[in-house]
Order: sequence, then C-alpha cells, then structure tokens
Amino acid sequence: MSAEKTDGLILRVTDFSETSRIVVLFTREFGKISALAKGGRRLKGPFESALDLLSNCHVVFLRKSSSGLDLLTEAQLIDRFRPQERDLTCLYAGYYVAELLQNLTEEYDPHPELYQAALEALEDFRQTDQMRRGVLRFELVMLREMGQLPDFETCAACGGELTEGRTFGFWVSQGGLVCPECQREEYSQITIHAGSAAVLRRLSGTGGESWRRLELSPQQYKELKRVTTAAISHVLGRRPKMLSYLP
Amino acid sequence: MARFQVAAQHPYGPSVGQLVDRLAALPGIGRKSAERLAQHLLGCDEAEALALAQAIQDVRHNVKHCPNCFNLTEDAECEICRDSRRDPQVVCVVEQPKDLLVIEATGVFQGQYHVLGGRISPLSGVGPDDLNIAALVRRVRKQGVREIVMGTNPTLEGDGTALYISNLLADDNVRITRLARGIASGSVLEFANREMLADAMKGRQAF
Repeated sequence: MSAEKTDGLILRVTDFSETSRIVVLFTREFGKISALAKGGRRLKGPFESALDLLSNCHVVFLRKSSSGLDLLTEAQLIDRFRPQERDLTCLYAGYYVAELLQNLTEEYDPHPELYQAALEALEDFRQTDQMRRGVLRFELVMLREMGQLPDFETCAACGGELTEGRTFGFWVSQGGLVCPECQREEYSQITIHAGSAAVLRRLSGTGGESWRRLELSPQQYKELKRVTTAAISHVLGRRPKMLSYLP
Repeated sequence: MARFQVAAQHPYGPSVGQLVDRLAALPGIGRKSAERLAQHLLGCDEAEALALAQAIQDVRHNVKHCPNCFNLTEDAECEICRDSRRDPQVVCVVEQPKDLLVIEATGVFQGQYHVLGGRISPLSGVGPDDLNIAALVRRVRKQGVREIVMGTNPTLEGDGTALYISNLLADDNVRITRLARGIASGSVLEFANREMLADAMKGRQAF
C-alpha cells in the first residue's frame, strides 16, 4: 500500500461502525475514490470535523492493491460548502453536483478540470442569482469531461452550420442540435431559440471565463435546462434524483 | 429445486449457525465477536440466556414512539412530555432519540423535545415527508410554542433540515434558535481548528 496525498471533495459519507465511516471523494489527482475512515465519527482524531458532505479537504490515503476500500488516514478541511443562507435551492444544487460526480464518474479516472468546475459551481451556489448559471455550466463541463457533450456547433443530422433559422431542435440520441430543415416531430421534442444555442456554446466552451458574464433570461434558462437534463439523463440512463428539487 | 441456504453451515448445527448470523448482523459486531457471544450464550446459565431473549422480545413489544414528541417510551406518552415542570412552549428538535438522551444528560434544558426520526437527505431518498416534520408544525401551532431550538447535527444535511423547518415556520410567531458552535470549555485556542474558532468568533456573546 502506498500513501497518496491529494485534495478531494466529499460526495458521500456513510457510517460504517461505532466509530468508522466510509467516505466517497472526488479527488483532483485520482478521480473518485472510496475509503474507510477509521475513527471518522470521533470528534478528535486525524479527521477532526472535515468529513462532511461537499467539504473540500486535503487528504492522505493508503491505496489498496486489491479491490477493497482504500484507507483514509488524514483529512484536513480546506473549505466547507456553505450555500446562500436561507435558500434551500442553492443547497440542493450542491447535492446535485455530488449526485452527478458520484454517478457519472469512475473510480481512479481523474478529471482535474471537472474537480475545479465542481469547486467553482459550489462557489457560485453561495449566491442565489448565480445558481442557475452555475448549475448549467457544471452540467456542460461534466458532459464534456465524460466525452458526451452534444454538438452545439453543427447540425447533428446534416452537419451544416447552425447559423440560420430561428429555432433548432435538440436530438439527444443523435448527439446535438438539428437545423430547421432536419427537424422531425418524431425525433425531437425540444426546441431552442438561436440565442439560447449561442449561450449553450459559450457556457460549454473551454476558453476562459467569458461565460461568467452571461445573463440568462428565465426563458433561456428553461430552454437550456431542458437540453442539459435530456443529455444528462441520456448518459445516466435515468433522471437524476436531485433534479426535482431544482428550478 | 433446492432453495439457496442463506445461513452459513456451523459445526454445532443450524441453530448455532443462525444465532451467529443474527448476532453478526448487529452493528459493530463482526463474525468473530458473534461467534464468541454465541459461545457465551451456549455456556452460560440457561435462565440468563433466556432472560436476554425475553428482554429483546419485551423491548420490541412494549417500546413505541411517543405520539407527541416521537421519543421512545413504554407508556402512552413519554416521561418528558408528562413532566409538568417542563416548559411545553420551548421545543428542542433532534434527529434521533439518542440525540435527545445526550442533550438530556446535560441537565440544562427544561423544555420539551421533538424527534424527527432522521434528517432530510435527498441523495439517500429521505425527503421531508419521511420525517416527523408535519407533526412538528402541527405541534407548534397547537401548543403555542414560542421557541424552537434546532438540535440537529451540525452537518450540511443537519443544517439543511433545520433550514427547511425554519422556512416552513417563517410565518409563525415562533423564535428559532440553534445550538451554539465553537471552542469547547477547557480547551486551548492554540489547538482549536480554524473553523471552530471562526464559529466561536461569529457566535460571540456579551460577557
């Protein structure tokens, strides 16, 4: 067993025995790991009060060579998730981030950009007005990192540029937006305006922080959320649990 | 077709095997400890072993939830709810009966309790309707409660549950407080962690 040091976001904490806990973390260098924290329920010890849902911690763990749980030996709190006070929706948005990371990532499959995106999303959820944009951005980064980001640049059916047309369809199984000429009633029930498609491209882009300047209208948020929900549900094979708690 | 046999084969026979299985299913007891306990029960006085069986049966048959606060009791109402010296207008909300016991052991709280039966945890499939929250709201309105003390665990989900309840009672004339956080008496500042100190500073009191 070798000792590894990294930073990680806690996705799930389960009591295992009188004093121990099983912790699932999404780490920067190793991706998702599941580890046993012996003495993790005690107030004093190598974990102090760091083992809470969505806490970001410096951790030290012993990697097991077998398929068993890793052993968490230390956790030091970097930052605790504190959503906007008195706003349950921001709290539930944080739970949604945990649900997606837990269900869509594999153990020991590192995605440092996704880890960073999760921290940024949780930071955004501290302010109610940035919550919706933060959720959409995280969903799109998640899809991109999983290699499942739909094509928002060209028509998923004919390959043509999506520059013309007032509305586009979203064809989830085909993997992207379709131009007005290719839209078929039986294939796509989600339609979005050209402005929303442009917002999707900026929100899912990798070029800097320009997406942070985007202001979403309620109508745009509704359209974009339908697209990301359809794409996430398609990859996950079901609708995420936390979606019913989000606007 | 033969059915799959769940209980492990035991050299002393299926009865002992079943006992070991049952004991090993208890929290904190592994297979070896279960084997040791089973050996003890086989070796001890028969009356002692049967008294244990009877005690388990009695607990399961006689203990129920108090209809008012959902604490565990053998009577129609729990001892705390029956105690006329307690203030029914101050209610401490806790997640589990064991949390009630630890607060009660401090001996400083003179109000009543309300046991939620868990905390809101949507990721684990526990929603507000799975807890005794509606009963708490009814109780606040019927009993004229003037203060609710949130004694949920100081975790994200515990705080989330407290937030949900406080939002629910926002229009009621009830003061909502929560347990103080920060450094423990008798400890030294040097060894308190950053968060404890921050909580203590935020929650500082007039001296």
